[in-house]
Parts: sequence; structure tokens; C-alpha cells
Amino acid sequence: MRPGIRSVLAVLVASVLIGVVLGPDHAGAQPKPIKIGEINSYSGVATVYTFPYKEGLALATKEINDAGGVLGRPLEFIHRDDKLKPDEAVKAARELVLQDKVDYLAGCISSSVGLAISAYAKDAKVLYFATHCQTSRLTWDDGHRYIAHTTNNVNQYVRVAAKKASTLPIKKWANISPDYEYGHNMWEEFSTYLKKLKPDVEFVQLNWPKLGETDHSSYITALLQSGAEGLFSSVWGAQSIAFVKQARPFGLFDKMRYVAPSVGNPDELDPLGKEAPVGAIATPFAWYDPGLHKLHPKLAAWTKKYTEWATAKGLKDPQPKLGASWGYASAYIIAEAIKRAKSTDTEKVIGALSEGFEMDFPWGKVIMRGCDQQALPPQWIGVVKLDAQGKPIAADVEEFQGKDVARSCDEVKELRAATAAKQKK
Amino acid sequence: MTTVRAVGWLVVLAGLLVLPLVLPSFLVVVMTEIAIVGLFATAFNLLMGFGGMVSFGHAAYFALGAYAAALLVKQAAWPMVLGLAVAPFAAAAGALFFGFFIVRLTHTYFAMLSLAFAQIVFTVVFKWKALTGGDDGILNVWPPEALKSPRAYCYFTFAVAGLAILALHAIVDSPFGMALRAIRENPRRARFIGVNVRRHQLFAFVLSGFFSGLAGGLFAFFNGSVFPDFAYLNKSFEPLVVALLGGIQSFFGPLAGALGFKILETVIARQWPVYWPLFLGTAVVVVVIALPQGFVGLLQRRAWRTPTAR
Amino acid sequence: MDLLTSLFPWITNGPLIVVQVMSGLSVAMFLFLVSVGMSLIFGVTRIVNLAHGSFYMVGAYLLVTLVETLPQHPLMFWVALGLAPIGVGLLGGVIEVTLLRRIYHREPLLQLTLTFGLILVIGTAVLLVWGPDNKSVARPDALAGSVRIFGQPFPSYYLVVLALAPAVAVALWIIFYRTRWGMLIRAATVDREMLGALGVDVATLYTQVFVFGSWLAGFAGALSAPTVAVALGMDGDVLTTAFVVVVIGGLGSFAGSFISALLVGELQSFGILVFPAVSIVLLFAIMAVVLIVRPWGLLGRPEE
Repeated sequence: MRPGIRSVLAVLVASVLIGVVLGPDHAGAQPKPIKIGEINSYSGVATVYTFPYKEGLALATKEINDAGGVLGRPLEFIHRDDKLKPDEAVKAARELVLQDKVDYLAGCISSSVGLAISAYAKDAKVLYFATHCQTSRLTWDDGHRYIAHTTNNVNQYVRVAAKKASTLPIKKWANISPDYEYGHNMWEEFSTYLKKLKPDVEFVQLNWPKLGETDHSSYITALLQSGAEGLFSSVWGAQSIAFVKQARPFGLFDKMRYVAPSVGNPDELDPLGKEAPVGAIATPFAWYDPGLHKLHPKLAAWTKKYTEWATAKGLKDPQPKLGASWGYASAYIIAEAIKRAKSTDTEKVIGALSEGFEMDFPWGKVIMRGCDQQALPPQWIGVVKLDAQGKPIAADVEEFQGKDVARSCDEVKELRAATAAKQKK
Repeated sequence: MTTVRAVGWLVVLAGLLVLPLVLPSFLVVVMTEIAIVGLFATAFNLLMGFGGMVSFGHAAYFALGAYAAALLVKQAAWPMVLGLAVAPFAAAAGALFFGFFIVRLTHTYFAMLSLAFAQIVFTVVFKWKALTGGDDGILNVWPPEALKSPRAYCYFTFAVAGLAILALHAIVDSPFGMALRAIRENPRRARFIGVNVRRHQLFAFVLSGFFSGLAGGLFAFFNGSVFPDFAYLNKSFEPLVVALLGGIQSFFGPLAGALGFKILETVIARQWPVYWPLFLGTAVVVVVIALPQGFVGLLQRRAWRTPTAR
Repeated sequence: MDLLTSLFPWITNGPLIVVQVMSGLSVAMFLFLVSVGMSLIFGVTRIVNLAHGSFYMVGAYLLVTLVETLPQHPLMFWVALGLAPIGVGLLGGVIEVTLLRRIYHREPLLQLTLTFGLILVIGTAVLLVWGPDNKSVARPDALAGSVRIFGQPFPSYYLVVLALAPAVAVALWIIFYRTRWGMLIRAATVDREMLGALGVDVATLYTQVFVFGSWLAGFAGALSAPTVAVALGMDGDVLTTAFVVVVIGGLGSFAGSFISALLVGELQSFGILVFPAVSIVLLFAIMAVVLIVRPWGLLGRPEE
């Protein structure tokens, strides 16, 4: 026999044996758990958000399961790392659905990943709960019944930021956003809404570093030359931290007002420490803000509970982060949808989602809107300052309601129709 | 063909027909991937094992095929089969253009220029957002309803890849294939007997690119989406590693390599995803060191290769 | 003039252009340090070390750990900067002796494949040792601020890099052109067999060159660590750019790496301003053109 055929047969035999021995594991829990395949980025720039997110999810899951689970069954999240690559996410989704036989899919922080998983979920008719990724296209332009979004989307908080930006005496704006779905979505929402509120603004320079860029020095020097008075930035996570650190010695933030929605979050402020961009406008999760505590009396207890949990889990910085709140909320929203459906059947859960519901969280009321299965949580706007101990915080925090700024159901219908028309062509 | 060989072939054929029916969906999906990777590696080996030219940028043609198929179906609303039929020609065009320059070099420079061109394809795809969707890729690239199920698409892939591999086999056994092997052994001698070395090498390059593009197209519809990473360095090394593992000296070696590689990946990457690159890298290092002779040395030793200092 | 100003509004802005050029220079210096090691290794051993980016990354991570573990003192940063590259050099030495030595006599493409395998191994090792999240290390306090260049702030750390780099280039020049060891290396680049025939222990020379090249990559990584995000994936980014620099400048040419690094560094710096969408493609296009027209690079030596 030719060597090739021999090797083919040998490998065939060997692989069947391996496959049998190391086949898929069988969980033999008492009441069968409700399995949710959670795909997210647990490496790279995202970890400042996703590590606390995972703990928030875990804390909520434990609370839910301790209280008897959902429909008498425990919730179980199976995590996969997509490494910020849509390709990996699609592969993971396929494996989770076909091999692990999960009931639902969840996760994502990169918007490109979210869109890719959404496309797969739609085709495979599996319900997908997008949790951390933010592009409005998830539930709007490219929305469909097999996707629900458990946190806010770009549109909501960027409009709030644009509103604040329009009150500043600044006409010339520049942009630095990562070159992928989220970055483009952010800039589009910000610039169009700002232009609507203040028609005489000018956009002098657009910069698109790649997601995860480590060295922004060329972009920084280019920005210095742009003549901009204000800078909108949607770089996030570790990339935002690196950008701020690199830009400060160039005096960039003295030259222009920095508007960066994500930089107000403790996930980014805490690692920055005294290098934080004081004066920057952001849309923060300011869990420490006394004004917020007055509005939401249950917040203090939750922050204590989370801090204890995170400390026990050995997290380097156990204080609450935005990621933690989103993980926490996502688990509860998923559980609620199943509870309301009184079944784990996908179509019934979609039915429950499409009727919409409200939930109270320690930081305010979150509305799950039925027409687009999009969450509408509270939004905050603040300015970065250093507190008495020199720690960076978001101050002058104002609260808005997501439902007041988000696009209406009719507008969403129009957006979806426009996408469908484009595809028919 | 001897009886043993014929029986061996029948077993394989029977397996290909029956297995997709009996195996669970997940394994059917793996089998489809094996067929695609096997085709890619076999096309690559046309160049490496039979042509003696090692390209480090073959992902470019895989990606060109994948994107061509995706764009034709999404933008031009072509039916999938037509898009799949045309995709390899797009890849071949790229192979013709790049190959024209690449085959003028040899060895290390050949490899480096092929890598450079693959990087160009990658960065163009990445940056040309308007056309390719950039980092977000092109989504919702699905086969028609009839071929959508894992089983159906598996049979479809077997059929297409099978035909392609038969074609490649015919090419390798043809006079052209013989001339190619002669060139690999000794280009000077081949030139003396009247073989147009450059033209043969370029043609081999284009053919290799063509079938790599076909593999790319098949993968696009399998995956339902295409991404710039299809053109990246890691993808270029996939056929190289697979062919190496399976054996570059035989025609079916890369197929065996694809089978073994995918099974290992499915088992290891699932259980210990962090360790998979470590395993792969170690395997590559071990194979390279343990192979008693080099790539070309596995065949016949080149007469005048200058030994390096030792 | 008006047409120019409208096309390139920054052209009238003197101090900012100076800052842009200097920023490009510091990028160029990091690139030079990485590329010269790669070029050197190829010149002598004829191996294109694809794992060079991985050495750079290890250097950066080692610096982070050293700065974190050493006692807090302003001088400790410089101690760490001295130690980190040594660690990388050791790693390179181990790899050369245990792995590369066995394959020198084989196909160069086999060697390329092996170094690619090393990328995967070293990458996973870094992940296992340091974890998946990004790391950062602060610039030493003395250099954390900025100086004014024509009234425009410019980071002090980059200034030090700019001052350091010519010093390193001169030191390298002295080593290559004024020491016996350097002479042996240059001789090996021209004709290894003859060198062996003349009684030089070429095997040890190879090891020394590889260690030195790795040291240079590690030094570049450690030096750049305070200015970038130290992350997995640094290896790929640096490798592709260093590769371009080395190919354009000429594999095996020290001066070629220097000039090419300057070219690529400034191109990256100004590329964002002048032709943002195209600048990365341009880099690889230039590399392809060089390979087509003059495969051994601008200042390299043609193959036999």
C-alpha cells in the first residue's frame, strides 16, 4: 500500500479510539442544569472589564441557584475565550451548540464578535443574549428575534455624552476610535447627534487605530497637529489606559477637551491612578458617588457584597467595576426571561422577552424592551476628577434614563427595514 | 491497482458515504473541516512536495477564494454554487499576479516574498472596510436551504473536494507533473532538456492557488462568515504543518495529515485551549528536528547544495 | 503654497512637525534594535529567526516583572533594564544550542518552520507565566514628564531613547568593525566555510551571534515596555514590522537596518497624517518591491 493510504487508515483508527476515550464529558447533575454557552474575551485589552464581569456573573448565578435556581434547575455558564476574534467566537459558538448542547448562547464584549455570534445564532435558531458588547446594530439594524441585549447600547450613552459635549464652547472635534464595528458605531452616533444639537461643529481629523493597538504615538502627534479643540475617543479597556498614558506627556489633554465614555469607569480609572485624564467627560459607573447612593439606597449593600465575593475569589482589585454590574445584571435578566416563559423552550423565552419586563437592580431600574429585546438601564454622565486622596473618580454625576434617549420602537423598525431592503438588492 | 489497494479505497469510500449519516452533528462538522483543510494542504503540496517550492503565504489565495465567494453571494446576489465556482479563479488571478514575481526567486527569498504578498492581502482586506467589512468580516454567508444542514454540506464538501483532489492527482501524474518533479530535482538539467522552468513553476503556482481558493470558498459557506484572519500568517502555516505531519512525499500524505491534525485539534483544543498552540509548536519543532532529511532531502538529495558550515 | 497648506494643514506648523519627526525617530530606534539582531542572525547563520518578535515580547514582560519585584528605588529601573535582556539572551542561547544546532545543515526553509513553531511555544509560555491580561510598567520617575521642544511638550523618555540609540549604534559599529570578534562575524557573513577552514570555531560563533541577537531584541522590548501596553500579541506586531525593515535594509547589513529603520519609523509616523488608510499597505508594498527588484535589500549582499 502506498505510504499515504497507510497513514490515512492508521490515523483513522487512532483518531476513532482517541475520540471514544476522550469524548464529550457528561455532566450528571441531579436536576439537569440550564446550560448557557458564554463566549467572551478573557485575554488582551478586554480583561479589565471581563474579569470583574465574570465575577459579577458568578455572584448572580450563585444567588439565583441558592434561591432554588430557575424553574427548579440550576443555571450553568460554560465559558469560552474568543480572543477578541469573531472567527474564534463563531467556532466556539458552533461547538457549544453542537457538542455541549447548550440551551442558549451568551456573551461578547467586542461588537464584531457580537455581530458574528448573532449571525450564527439566527441561522442555528438558538437564542443569544448579548451581554457586554455595545453596538446598536445588534438589536436594531441587524436585530432579529434570536438576539436579546442585556445591557445598554452605544446609542444610549453616547447621546448623553453628545448632549454634554454640545454645551461646551468647542467647534473643532477630532476622533480616535478603534477600527472595528464598535468604534465606527460610537463615532457615528456621537457625531450625528452632536451635529444635530450644534450644527456649527467641524470634524477636523478621524483616527482609526486597530483594536488592541499598543503604541499610539503616531496618532498622538497627528492629533496635536489637527487643530482640534475637543477629542472624542472610544478606545476602551487596556487600550484606553495605554492611550491615556502615552498621550499625557505630549500634553494632549491640555490642548483639547477629552470626551471618552469608557474612561470614567473604575475598570479604567483605577489602573490609571494619578495618570487619569482629569477633566475628561465620561459615562461612568460611579458606584461610590454619594448622589447615586441617595437615589439608589440598595447600592451600598451590593457593593459590599460584591467586594467580599471578589476578594474571596482573589481578584487583584475587588472593588466594584462596570463589568461586575453588567455580569450581575445579565445573569438575572436571563433567569427572569426563562422564569416568565415558564419554560426553557427557545420560542417561549423569546415570547417572554418580546412582551418586555422591568427589573430593579441596586443601581436603578432596567427595562427590557419588548419590541427589540433591548435593555434600557440608567445612564450616567460625569467628569473625571481626583478625590482628596488623589484617587481618580467621576464627579458631578448626573443620571438619565436609557428609555428617554434611546431610539423609539418605530425608529428601530425603520432601521431593520432599511437593512432588509439593502440585502434584497 | 492491486486488490489490497482497491479494498483499501472501497473502505475509505464507504466510510465517507456512511459516516456523515451515523455520526453526531458535531463530528460531521469536523469531517467537513477535515475535507477542506485536506484540500488546502494537498493544493499546497502540489507546490511544495512536487514542485519543491515552499510558500509561506498561501493563506492569501485561501482568503481570496473565501472573500470572492462571500462577496459574489452577498453583494452581487449570485447563487452559492456559482459563487463557489468562480471563487477559485479569483484566487488563481491573485496567484498569477503574485506568482509572476515570486517564482523568479528561490528558497528563502521565495518564501519571504510569498509572505510579504500574503501580508499585503491581509492588510488590504483589513483596511478596505467599505468592500470587505474590515475586522468585522462579512457575515451571513450561508449555503442555500438544501445544503444548509451539517450533513448536507458535508456531502457537498466531500463531493467538491473529492473532485478537486482527483483533478490534482491527475495533474501530478500528467506530463506536466513529471516536468515539475524534474524541475524540483534539478532545474538546470530540466532547462537543458528544454523544459521552460519559469513557466512550469508559475503554472504550478497558479494551480495551487486555484485549488487553495476553492478550499477557501468551501470554508466561507461552511463558516457562514469570512474574516481578514483567513489571510494571516497562522493560516499560511496550517497547510505547511498539516502536509509536513502527514508526509510531503506522497500525494495523500497531506490528507492524512489533515485528518490527524483536525482530530488532535478537536480533542486537545477543546479540553485545554490554552495548551493547543504549545502542543502544535512543539510538534512542529519535533517533526522538523526528527525528520532525517530536509524537505527536498526527503526526495532525492540535490547534487550541488552547498553544505552549511558545521 | 496655499495648495500645499490645504492638502497638508500641518505643514505650516513647525514645532509640531519637529515633534512628529522626533516621535518617528524613537519608533525607528526601537525598530533598529529589533531588526539589527534579526539581520545579524541571518547574516551569519542564514536563519531567518521568526521567533525574534517573541524575544522582544519576553524582554518586555521580564522588565515588568523585574520592576515589580525589585525594591522601589529610582535606580532599580535601570537595573531591571540591564537584567531583562540578559534573560532573553540566555533563552536564545538555550534555543540555539538545543534546537538550532541540529538543523543548520538542513534546508533553510525547515529552519524557518522551526522558528515558527517556537513562536507558538514561547507565546504560550508567556501566557502561562504572566497570565492573559495586559501589563504596564511606569516610566522611571525622572523620565515620566516631558520637556519642551519649541514650546511643544515631548515625553522625556523618548528623548532618552533618542539619545541612547545612536550610542547603541556606535557601540555596535565599534564591536563589528573594531574588535576581533566583530571581524569574525563579518567574515562569517561573507564566507562561513572559509572561516571554518581557517580554524575558527564556527559553531561557538553561531551561538554567540544568536545570543547577542536575542539580547538586542530583549533590550528593545524592555526599553519600549514603559511606552506601550505589554500584551500577548506584541510578538506578531513587532515581527511583521521588523521583517519589513530587515528585508528592505538587507539581511545581514548593519547599516541597512539602520537606514531602513529610519525610513519605516518615519513612514509610520507621517503615514497617519498623510495617507492614513494606506500607510500599512504601503510598508508591505515597498517590501515586496524591494524583494522583486533587489531581493537582498538596499544594502545587503547578493546570495551566491
